[in-house]
Amino acid sequence: MTPRRLLRLFGIWLGVLSVCSALIYYRVRLDRTRPPQGPYLVSVWERGARSARTVVASDPERALLDAAGGRVAQRVVEQIVDSAPIFCRSWLLLGMSLVPARDGLSATYQGRTAYASPDDLLVLEAYEFKFALGPLSLVLGIDVNKVLGALAQELGTEPAELLRHGSFRRFAVKSDAAYPRKVSAADVTLEALKSSVDGAARYLARNQRRDGSFRYALNAVTGGDSPEYNYPRHAGATYFLARAGNQFHDTQLQRAARRAGAFMKDRATLRCGAHACIGEGEQTDIGSSALAILAYVELLAGGNEEFRAPVLELAEFVRTQQRADGEFQHFYSVAEQHPIDVQTEYYTGEAAFALSRVQSVSGDPRDLDAARRALSFLVTRSPWFLGSRYFWGAEHWTCQALADLWQRAPDRVALEFCLDWQAANRSLQFDSPPAPSNYDGGVMRGPFVVPRLTPTASRMEAAVATLEVARAAGVSAERIQLLERQIKHAFAFLLRYQFTPGPTQLMSKPRLLEGGFPGSAVDLHVRIDFPQHAAGALLRYWELEQ
Amino acid sequence: MRIVFGILNALSALVLLVGVFGVVQPRFWALDVPAATIALVELLSALGLLARLPWALRALTVSAWVSFVLGLTLVTLIVITIVFLRGIHGDYGIAALAVSSLIVALLVPYTVLLPALELLWLRRQRTESSQ
Repeated sequence: MTPRRLLRLFGIWLGVLSVCSALIYYRVRLDRTRPPQGPYLVSVWERGARSARTVVASDPERALLDAAGGRVAQRVVEQIVDSAPIFCRSWLLLGMSLVPARDGLSATYQGRTAYASPDDLLVLEAYEFKFALGPLSLVLGIDVNKVLGALAQELGTEPAELLRHGSFRRFAVKSDAAYPRKVSAADVTLEALKSSVDGAARYLARNQRRDGSFRYALNAVTGGDSPEYNYPRHAGATYFLARAGNQFHDTQLQRAARRAGAFMKDRATLRCGAHACIGEGEQTDIGSSALAILAYVELLAGGNEEFRAPVLELAEFVRTQQRADGEFQHFYSVAEQHPIDVQTEYYTGEAAFALSRVQSVSGDPRDLDAARRALSFLVTRSPWFLGSRYFWGAEHWTCQALADLWQRAPDRVALEFCLDWQAANRSLQFDSPPAPSNYDGGVMRGPFVVPRLTPTASRMEAAVATLEVARAAGVSAERIQLLERQIKHAFAFLLRYQFTPGPTQLMSKPRLLEGGFPGSAVDLHVRIDFPQHAAGALLRYWELEQ
Repeated sequence: MRIVFGILNALSALVLLVGVFGVVQPRFWALDVPAATIALVELLSALGLLARLPWALRALTVSAWVSFVLGLTLVTLIVITIVFLRGIHGDYGIAALAVSSLIVALLVPYTVLLPALELLWLRRQRTESSQ
């Protein structure tokens, strides 16, 4: 091949590729900023289910007034802003053609059109199609089967027939619904923080059973609970509830925390060798015991002396799990009565923080030494691995341990580690524009998936702890300002999505969910650790700024 | 150049085989078949070039054309995917745009430029041998 022919070939390829790209781009894009022009979708919702819908070209305020007359009925008007055709009838392309939480999908079949609005897709839980790829859990666009099923039912056909012979358009809407709230960083005041924390704590107290356990994961749409339970998360929720009760001097919250603490003490305490530990079954982990220590220390601070002996016993157990290098053996075989030297995420940080906290109760220098060594182990970065500056685990407990230890055992290496981690988090934080305004402040978990609240919240627990130490250690004003801005934007993101009262038209029991934090804009479940981390971060900042 | 292209083709084939069959899971024919085809013809041409076998230049021609066509196809698919997702998500997909552009930038030297250089060199070889 001659150079001239090669260049000509490249030129043709580039030209064809450019034309194809331009055609594809302008065919699929939506203009969300233009004035709404499309028809109005008027829907009536009752207890999380759509009971009526009509599509009108004008005067939406007059539509479905009779159907919306019921006591629990709510009328929602969504106007289509812009729409674009779905590129072709492929299951994969259809799945990748909608923006989660923002786009709806319409299907036309034999002259009739059905609409799946963003609210419909939220109720169907269809915005994220989750699948496992080996050990990874991935999200690949929307759940096409659920959406096709719903549209096909409205059009009186089968999903496969609709995919073959229907035509599809995605659309953006302007809705009159009040959720998510309009909250900016300027709205993050101490009053707003206190109100949010109080709401989250009351959510947990309201959803506590008589035995002290919690409703583990409530589905906001159905009001149903999950059959699962998890002791580290129970302990974490108890810790937050006790802190909120103590900080706000609220006896109702303190009582709920005491019941949750008693549940662990009386029903979930096992023997791990010569020591007590928390868990169930034949194997336990140090995470449950470490978080129980945090909860018991707070309960003791609230005057509940019955937790003094148990907390000291648990501290001994966690200490005996520590290796010479500062790392912990994360598991203990209750059946065979020996430690298991296997590590997972979170537990070393939790143990470091717990041992630091318990030292204020035990006065035992061994607790302080164990916490100091664990923190040092966590923040040591190998000089031989360049990537240690760029690859991060979840270090929210590590940086809370740093803050708790700072007055007694200051660790400058740990401070730099936590400052660097927050710098890495800032690079993953959404900024609007160009990000959608609702996601401003949230931490990115992938380019096409919506940010989740809990990863953002747990990073903010660490960010506030780091800010506290940075101020005490005389870190430069510029770095402190970056941290403060990061925190306020993330808090605005969290407050936007808290159920106060939330998308009540989609909820069967909105009063039950009041104050809870959902998983994300497209995951309307509230698991007990969601309010723990979100409101825990807000409470930490409220305490710091008092 | 014969030895340089032999070594580069052997390296490309190894990177492709390890990358696709050692790292990527699960198996998917749409990736496995083209990757295995390119790796096989590149290995054959590398063997021929390094051992100075009589069919070496013919094998290099086949390997260069297969790599060149599949390489351009791969880059085309990635670019069209970027454009499609950019159209759907707007500015929200900016991070994916950056990552995909990086992948294209990393692929082009091995899948497009190297075979293009080989094709140009083969042309010169043929011209010289006919003179």
